Amino acid sequence: MNLLIWTLTIPLLTAGVGGLGGPPALKERTMVGGLALTFGLCLAIAGQFLGGHVPAAFDDVLRVDGLSALVLVLCGFVGLLSGCYGVGYLRRNERRGLVTPRMRREFYGLIPAYVFAMLLVAVSNNLGVLWIAVELTTLASVFLISFHNRDTSLEAAWKFLMLGSLGLGFALLGTVLLFAAGQGHLGEGMSALNWTRLVQAAPQMHPFTLRLGVVFALIGYGTKAGLAPMHTWKPDAYREAPSPAVVLMAVGMLNGAMYCILRIHLISKAAMGPEFSGGLILTLGLLSVLIAVPFILIQWNLKRLLAYSSIEHVGIMAVGVGLGAEAGVFGALLHMTYHSLAKPVALFSAGTLAQLHSSSNFKEIGGGTLGRTPVSSALLVLSAVIITGSPPFGLFFSEMTILRAGFAGLHPTATSVFLAGLVALFCGMAFQIGRLVTGPQPVDQKAPDPERFDFALGTAIVAAVLAVVSAFYLPAPLMALIRAATQVVWGTA
Amino acid sequence: MTANVLTLCAAGMLVTAYLMVGQKALLTTIRLYGLQSLLLGLVAATIAIAESRPELLITAALTVTLKGILIPWFLMRTVDRIGIHREIEPFLNVPASLLICLGLTVVGYRVSTGFEQGARGVGHHLIGVALSLLLIGLFLMVTRKKAITQILALLTVENAVFLVAVGVTSGMPLIVELGISFDVILAVLVLGVLVQRIVGRFESMDVSRLSQLKG
Repeated sequence: MNLLIWTLTIPLLTAGVGGLGGPPALKERTMVGGLALTFGLCLAIAGQFLGGHVPAAFDDVLRVDGLSALVLVLCGFVGLLSGCYGVGYLRRNERRGLVTPRMRREFYGLIPAYVFAMLLVAVSNNLGVLWIAVELTTLASVFLISFHNRDTSLEAAWKFLMLGSLGLGFALLGTVLLFAAGQGHLGEGMSALNWTRLVQAAPQMHPFTLRLGVVFALIGYGTKAGLAPMHTWKPDAYREAPSPAVVLMAVGMLNGAMYCILRIHLISKAAMGPEFSGGLILTLGLLSVLIAVPFILIQWNLKRLLAYSSIEHVGIMAVGVGLGAEAGVFGALLHMTYHSLAKPVALFSAGTLAQLHSSSNFKEIGGGTLGRTPVSSALLVLSAVIITGSPPFGLFFSEMTILRAGFAGLHPTATSVFLAGLVALFCGMAFQIGRLVTGPQPVDQKAPDPERFDFALGTAIVAAVLAVVSAFYLPAPLMALIRAATQVVWGTA
Repeated sequence: MTANVLTLCAAGMLVTAYLMVGQKALLTTIRLYGLQSLLLGLVAATIAIAESRPELLITAALTVTLKGILIPWFLMRTVDRIGIHREIEPFLNVPASLLICLGLTVVGYRVSTGFEQGARGVGHHLIGVALSLLLIGLFLMVTRKKAITQILALLTVENAVFLVAVGVTSGMPLIVELGISFDVILAVLVLGVLVQRIVGRFESMDVSRLSQLKG
């Protein structure tokens, strides 16, 4: 049977086992095993692709090109990390008596289901299936956000679902309009919505309908990516969702939504050149970077801080794509890769801190965490250094690539503003993390749970090692995937 | 004949949207949404028969059963269970809302003229109504406080998108359409469960109370 279909079936089966009853130990093993197998299959598919074969299924409705392969591998990786950390996370809460059987079912069912939807996003070559898959990720995350069933988590879930559904409504309208614009050039049946067909037919499309479709689709999928000004769900959702789910949203869904944006961008580019959608993406990206600055400076909550950092990073990727230079696209995809490696460390260590202190508020955690919870604080510092783009780590190189492309290209002014935003964000993050880790410890500080070396902390350490190693050594096949993806986006493939 | 039926149905959909804006009783609003979906199904069926495209008949049947009957029934059951039947005072009073919606309709019709099929004939009305419906749905969403009304606003936007799909294209591929319908049903179920949880916690479904998260 086709490898592609297995890759999608395995997480679905895992979700089935996790969502039904059964002893917790079985669920834990199934989730880690299933997601590890899934990641292995993702690697195998990428290997097939690099070997010169294009994996496809169902009349090209699912098809893997360079961009898909890169996103697939990154999502598979993040899925596995999230699964491993998730097991440890739930065990910790279990020890504190916070877990009901319903929560266990939701957790072990929804995390693999989310991974399934993410992978489906990455491999779908059909705009209809793409939309369905993105909607599935939204629905899977609602109950993960409201997982703890607090007042605030219900609020966050409600806002997320409303804004997300509205964004998806826009994306659906965009898809319909793109389909309408290509009437008569796309052929019949299911494959009429295939992205490859749309790109071919793009030059003959009706211009007004096409433009309207591109704008709606970009805004719709931009909402999912968390580009400003459609980002407002992100801080709430990140704060309320359990950390393993946040990782799926902050890395997996972010990559997936970026993937959708790139697909739409490519259709628009094939029809009327890169300026129209490129300009829009650049504007949204720049706005995201700038909007993150004040909120990071005044932030009072660790997980919300990371949400704004995620808004910044999606903005950086968008700027890289929007600049309209090959180096910019390469930088953006490199950024996506390094971000997928580094962000989990930040979220895991922040999640551990929040869990041990039973809060993610700076005030309630108090300063000087390095003395009380040394390992996770050290990991948080390390990850903050990496995600703010400090040398010698990977995100520094990708940001430099984008900046160089920007100054050499058509948008030097936008690039200058972008650079200023990056510097301000660096200072803001350094200030916030610094005051959390080293600041004065309040006298009446409640002692946190002691830090224990468990499965979750182990996963965080492994992720940190990978993030550091990747700065100095990026495996050649991964680099080849990034280059192949750049070719897809730049249009030389 | 076909053109007349289509225009009538489209106009009917617009009227239901206006009535939803002017309505405060939740059950009536839900029934209006159901009526709107039935009219959408009628539009699809008419086009299917007139242009002899049988696959559109499946779309029509799906729309009528899911959106015309099943979703309204589920929402009404939710409302009954919660026991809250009236929309509290919206952020904007009814006459002002209706005036704004009138403006939105003009905008919708104006934009529709840019389409290939929108400049003439019955397509003009379908697209014009669809875009107006979209804008009215968005407007409902930002001016209402009750969770159920917000869901209905979202579903109105969904209907508008489907009207565009039926009116402008020769219908989306069937499997995609089935997938989308499935997702919509799933979304409504998720929303319903979430509303019940919210009501269970806050003893109200006034979503303007959900305002603790800031910054």
